[in-house]
Amino acid sequence: MLFNSLHFLFFLPLVVSLYYFTAHNYRWILIFIASCYFYMAFVPKYILVLFLIILIDYISALTIEQVQGKLKRFYLLASLSSNILLLAFFKYFNFLNDNLEFVFSFFGKEYHRVNLDIILPIGLSFHTFQSMSYTIEVYRGRQKAERHLGYFANYVLFFPQMVAGPIERYASLGQELKAVHVPVYTNITNGLKLVFFGLFVKMTIADNLAPFVNDIFAAPEKHSSLDVLGAIFAFSFQIYADFFSYSTIALGAARMLGITIMDNFKTPYLSKSVSEFWTRWHISLSTWFRDYLYIPLGGNRVKVPRWALNIMIVFMVSGLWHGANWTFVVWGALHGLMLLLERFSSRLFRFEIKPGWSFLNVLLCAKTFLITSFIWVFFRAESFQQAGDVFRALLNRWDTDSYYVMLVKVGSIGVLMALLDIFLYGSRFESRMNTLPVLPRWSIYFILFGGLLMFAGIQKFNFIYFQF
Amino acid sequence: MLRRVTIRLVLVLIFFVVLDRVYTYTLFPRDMENLSPEILEIRKTQAETDLYYFAESSNFSTKKGDSIQNSISEISHLFFPRLKFTAINKPASHAGTFLKWLNEIDPSESKLKALVVTLNMRSFNAAWIHSKMEAQLQESLVFTYPFPNLFNRFLLSLKIFDNITEQQRDKLLRAEWQNEKISLPHPSKYKTVLDWDFAMAHGGHLKSDGTWDVAKSTLACHYIKAYALTIREDNPRIKDFDNIVQWCEKNRIKLYLNLMAENVQYADSLVGKDLVYLMHRNRDFLMKRYNKGICSVVDNMDLVPGKEFTDQDWTTEHYGYKGRMIVGKNLAKHLKQQFNNYYYNAY
Repeated sequence: MLFNSLHFLFFLPLVVSLYYFTAHNYRWILIFIASCYFYMAFVPKYILVLFLIILIDYISALTIEQVQGKLKRFYLLASLSSNILLLAFFKYFNFLNDNLEFVFSFFGKEYHRVNLDIILPIGLSFHTFQSMSYTIEVYRGRQKAERHLGYFANYVLFFPQMVAGPIERYASLGQELKAVHVPVYTNITNGLKLVFFGLFVKMTIADNLAPFVNDIFAAPEKHSSLDVLGAIFAFSFQIYADFFSYSTIALGAARMLGITIMDNFKTPYLSKSVSEFWTRWHISLSTWFRDYLYIPLGGNRVKVPRWALNIMIVFMVSGLWHGANWTFVVWGALHGLMLLLERFSSRLFRFEIKPGWSFLNVLLCAKTFLITSFIWVFFRAESFQQAGDVFRALLNRWDTDSYYVMLVKVGSIGVLMALLDIFLYGSRFESRMNTLPVLPRWSIYFILFGGLLMFAGIQKFNFIYFQF
Repeated sequence: MLRRVTIRLVLVLIFFVVLDRVYTYTLFPRDMENLSPEILEIRKTQAETDLYYFAESSNFSTKKGDSIQNSISEISHLFFPRLKFTAINKPASHAGTFLKWLNEIDPSESKLKALVVTLNMRSFNAAWIHSKMEAQLQESLVFTYPFPNLFNRFLLSLKIFDNITEQQRDKLLRAEWQNEKISLPHPSKYKTVLDWDFAMAHGGHLKSDGTWDVAKSTLACHYIKAYALTIREDNPRIKDFDNIVQWCEKNRIKLYLNLMAENVQYADSLVGKDLVYLMHRNRDFLMKRYNKGICSVVDNMDLVPGKEFTDQDWTTEHYGYKGRMIVGKNLAKHLKQQFNNYYYNAY
């Protein structure tokens, strides 16, 4: 089920109402049914894949807790490899085939590829990572294995965040799901504010940018350099608005049930460096990679070359997590390289970013935005050919006609996004709004409400992160 | 708390009403222009139009290299220069779309004397009913919903209209082909459309050297899927045409159903007499049902020779200039009965 659908606008109030009318002991059943229904609105049969993940990790965790030594490690590896194999089968099977075909043909050999018509179950990368974090935590002894299959299933399936995160840990979401929640007026209103704000950002900002970006990325050579530059920046705003809005709606929907889930974004385009960007963008994924890949690889407690290698591995795997395409790997690798470059240059020039908002810091934010925007090209492009076409098109021609497109479409949305980020810097939408006096608060509500009704994109686009 | 909530809801409602007015006078015309130009055209022209011509692409599609590009409605109009004709066209539209357009006409404000509606036989078939273009058609009609304009726009942004996925449409289409029984006056070799299509696709036409003629067989399959059907009362198009007739009866507007020419010649040579029989039986059904009272059916079915069709490798009602001229003249002949005083012998 899409968040930006009438279906969801009926589904959410119904689930919230039923939730508070249901006795606490039976609420897990309601959440389970609601989550299954939510997921099955996409492709019903793929719920079986989720059930399989749930069963594997539920049983693995119980077993891991009961055994010791090598056997414990064996069960962990068995659980992790099952998850990864499942993900690899659905997500990377055809990618692997393409690469093997290329390698074979490079050596002049024939490769008999097996073609499978596989559709990636929506949000599979999110489910597997969330579930894997639970098993690892049980293995490390930081988390007790859950005995109640229903609660564990709800941890993987919880409908507000099941399709595109945030990737929650069992220690927080598991406990939240078990806690007794009574209906609290502010939880409902704050949740509604977040859902409403998320819809505004998705439908009014992201969906209005999408057609412009799609047109230009489809044939960059036909457009002027300014249009292409506009599309590069537009995609930066689009992907942020798209993913941020999803997380905000997820947060709001969960809040209406009295459940708190983590923030996935903290105004990332106001980061002064690439490393800061990764503490503000898709936080749940960054912390997952930090805890379960970067630190086990040795983190920064190793020699500098090894540390640099660790950074590169983490970013490249993170790229691959996003999609089965080398363009994603390059996207990750470029982020890794930029981060290393920043670290080495700051050591070399003994430069330290000072807190606060000096003119220099504003310039640093602009620099980070420029870097991330240009790297996004690899994320958006379907092939290196397309990415190359986009960069080549920057040298096309500088038409004066294009100023209109550039300034009006991208510029106005860019200004709006910047204002929103400045407004939200250091706080969430609903808490920021609650600090305002009545008049400005309601003025903002009405502006957003009017904007949503009058300017929402008429073409509807799926959330970009659904494909992962 | 209830008071608090009520005050907020009332405030939102008042704001919505104000915003709807603002939207209607500012952005609404632009949205209409982009999404529903046909509706906008009807609203703009109904006060001075004598005759509306509602059509799909058959009206204006032209052959490459045609020296004369006039549409069918323009050709018919040449015979009645003193009448104001307005053609409203949209590719893939059908009786359901025409009915929505018709409901936009306010009989008290309009001076409409006659309505010509394309009666396209293929629009009754499963492929057209479950066409992928249906979503786009439905999208263009959202502004006709009986809600405030701003609310309709919100429905559009949420895609709240018949907007099922292409896979779902394909599924419905296949099911209908599977269920459509071939009924002929003699026992048929094929039970369903799919059986017939399958047989044709597997060796229907051979070349002179004995090899399989893929192009010809593929085209024959298109003809089978397009015309091998029996139009019955439960066909959704019938219901829509019935409503169009009712509207015209109620408002005393003469209705002409312009039954478009089909490539009967190719249907015969590619598939055979059985398919032509089905086409003619469907034509007879439509004539019998609609050619009475306020409604006349203009029968063009067999009038256009096969080579005059623009698409030689597909089933369409797109004609070259000669074909459009034949249909346009035939329509004018029927219109002459009502508008004899306005008639001018243009050709």
